Amino acid sequence: MSEVLYYFLGFTAIYILMGWALYLPYRVGQLHFLIVACMAVTAYFGGFAAREWGWPFILLLLVGISIGAIIAFVFSQAIGKAPCFTVVIVGLTSVFIVKTVIENWELLGGTIGFFHIPTVKYLLPIIYILLLIVGFLIYKIDHSRLGRAASVVFVDREVAVSLGIDIKKLGMFFQIIACAIAGMAGILDAFFVNSVSPEFFTFSMISYLMCILFVGGYTTMWGVILSAFILQGIPLLFPSEVASWRQVIYGALLVIIILIRPEGLISRKMLWGLKPKFSFNNK
Amino acid sequence: MEIFIAQLISGIALGSIYVLLVTGFNLMLLVAKIIQFAYPQIVVISMYTCWGVLQLTDNKFLVILAGITVSIILSILSEPIFRKITSTQGVDINASFIASMGMAMIIMDVMSHSINYGFPVAFPPEWIGGNLLSFGLITVSKGQLYALMGGIIAVLIFFYLLYRTNQGRFFRAIAENRYAACLVGIPIIKTSIFSYFIVGVLGGITAILFSMLIGSASPWLGEFVALKMLAVSIVAGLGNLKGGLFCGLILGILEAMAMGYISGSWSNAIAFVVMLVIVLIKPQGLFGSRI
Amino acid sequence: MKKKNNILKIEHLSVTYGPIKAVKKVNLEVSQGEYVSLIGANGAGKTSLLKAILGIEKAEEGNILFLGEDISRKATDKIVSLGLCLIPEGHIIFSSMTVLENLQLGAYHNPSGFEENLQRVFTYFPILKKRSSQIAGTLSGGEQQMLSMGRALMSKPKLILVDEPSLGLAPKTVTEIFDILGELNREGYSILLAEQNAKKALESSHRCYVMKTGEVAITGFSSELIDDPQIRQAYLGGS
Repeated sequence: MSEVLYYFLGFTAIYILMGWALYLPYRVGQLHFLIVACMAVTAYFGGFAAREWGWPFILLLLVGISIGAIIAFVFSQAIGKAPCFTVVIVGLTSVFIVKTVIENWELLGGTIGFFHIPTVKYLLPIIYILLLIVGFLIYKIDHSRLGRAASVVFVDREVAVSLGIDIKKLGMFFQIIACAIAGMAGILDAFFVNSVSPEFFTFSMISYLMCILFVGGYTTMWGVILSAFILQGIPLLFPSEVASWRQVIYGALLVIIILIRPEGLISRKMLWGLKPKFSFNNK
Repeated sequence: MEIFIAQLISGIALGSIYVLLVTGFNLMLLVAKIIQFAYPQIVVISMYTCWGVLQLTDNKFLVILAGITVSIILSILSEPIFRKITSTQGVDINASFIASMGMAMIIMDVMSHSINYGFPVAFPPEWIGGNLLSFGLITVSKGQLYALMGGIIAVLIFFYLLYRTNQGRFFRAIAENRYAACLVGIPIIKTSIFSYFIVGVLGGITAILFSMLIGSASPWLGEFVALKMLAVSIVAGLGNLKGGLFCGLILGILEAMAMGYISGSWSNAIAFVVMLVIVLIKPQGLFGSRI
Repeated sequence: MKKKNNILKIEHLSVTYGPIKAVKKVNLEVSQGEYVSLIGANGAGKTSLLKAILGIEKAEEGNILFLGEDISRKATDKIVSLGLCLIPEGHIIFSSMTVLENLQLGAYHNPSGFEENLQRVFTYFPILKKRSSQIAGTLSGGEQQMLSMGRALMSKPKLILVDEPSLGLAPKTVTEIFDILGELNREGYSILLAEQNAKKALESSHRCYVMKTGEVAITGFSSELIDDPQIRQAYLGGS
């Protein structure tokens, strides 16, 4: 397998995981950028523990998931049902604080980054297996009572309360699952690239994830997959002069999609159209 | 004590710039019903404009004029996009946030690609002015003093306009109750377009004062300032103008003090930790949200 | 100019919300200086009709002539500037501003006669003068309704549309508000009042339209309708 294709597939899968992590809390109307902070924390922790203490990959995977979930649990006590922009600012400031800590911590390589993380065999297949498992889980959540409750909360919180939905618990649930996924993605990222750099966890990462979620479509889990492949592919398909302007392309895409297709490329209505129609006049 | 005074001066100057930013942001939120996340990027690009014009001419009046004009133009250019978004989506604020994030990405990338090869730009000493006072290592430049006075005056004038004049009252009326504003015959769309103009003017003034205060600009400055602006407005309560005034000033002073007494890279984080804790304790903001 | 002196003439007006027809081909007239009431049950289309006149809801078909000019496609601010105003139901005010600021906002299209208008509003509603520097949200329900009316009068309207002024108010306050409406009419204001309280509306107005599921069912002079057994049965609580 060529190196370009290898990295394309790997990064796309990691970004799909992160896109889903952003998608889940947005089911209840929260843009939860804390996932990026969680990813940074577990990526560094995983890299450090693997190189210095020799912890095995599988153990780190579980630890990463738990770290994400614990961070989310602590934060969600306060922001479980907070309005969207409060959640946004909690996420943004956390990302910034985590970044500052990393950059000032000599042990983690400061601004240069942390290198020589051991390699894991068959990492790409493992990533895709994990992707399938997470995808299946999200599909189940989406088609459960919780998913339907989330849709109500998204449209109208007051109606949701009147239906007896506990908004805080629901928000906490989605935030914890999202951060657990992000924690896993952090570990995968550290092992996939064999290094971690604070440059990676910045505003451009957040805007890239926004792009993945909203260009693809925030109403279903499938949009993330489509747009992760498209957006990740853009730098590969175009000559490097165009590709170096990808932030402009992503930004323009985001504006255009909101203007002409506010629900994104794949919307729920579209999926309904694909489902087999069953007729009512049976005999 | 000298450090304290010097940091207090730059803190108030920085604080008044935050106040201008947050007020512009809140005005957009209240009158046009959008989250203008790209506003700080507009400010930074007008700082770049000032820098560019300074390369060509020494005429300070022209520089100021150019900075304000660019800010107004960009602000008004974004109006049709936001109007389309708010009209098709009802009043979904999230959509405007997403779109303005896209705009911020575009502006940022343009700056980091095409202006000064992506390197930060430094304003010439004529613009910042020499040192006015110096106590040992701590100095207060003329630029800082200009920014301080300009910032306070701009904030005072703007709040006077908002609370004591007819046009300001129309803005507040739309902010408070769109339906009632419609009933008394305030032209909502016209007033809303006018608010983009006002915010553009405000952005230009902010850019000029900011460039005098910090003496440089970089493509990454915008995201940094955007984060602070959003954080202040949430800590104060979204759409709360008076709360923004208070919190903006406090943040500026806090940051300057941290910079004076703690080593550089940590000082920024302290302000964020304080804001994060406040937001976690009071998710609706200190003074209550107005939207 | 032999035609009767109409200040407002509505022809075949329809208003729809998606699939629901709220107002169906309504014809209605208000003459200069007239006090017309519009009664009917909840959901009969009274509020939609008033909102359509002011351009807040879009008229689907039909014309609305105000002083001979078709206003059915105009924006609300233009319509208000022509001299029409609506006192909305449920006392909608700017509750974080002072009473005086509320009244100043009412004078948006009539800034020149501000002082004179203010004094006039204060003579109708002396309570507002006393409370003029108070924050409007702290007023009682009746006072807020008066503020809402005072704000509308600040624009020196030629025709006042009133929507459910009695909603949620104490009986004594309701009487007070109807007295003021009567007084305003005697001073030459034309009034179109939509009201569920049919008795009050019929007692105070000259002419009345009875609306039923979006259509005008009955129309006539109030003094006659009040004795109509059918009306008594349906709207005045029997006997």
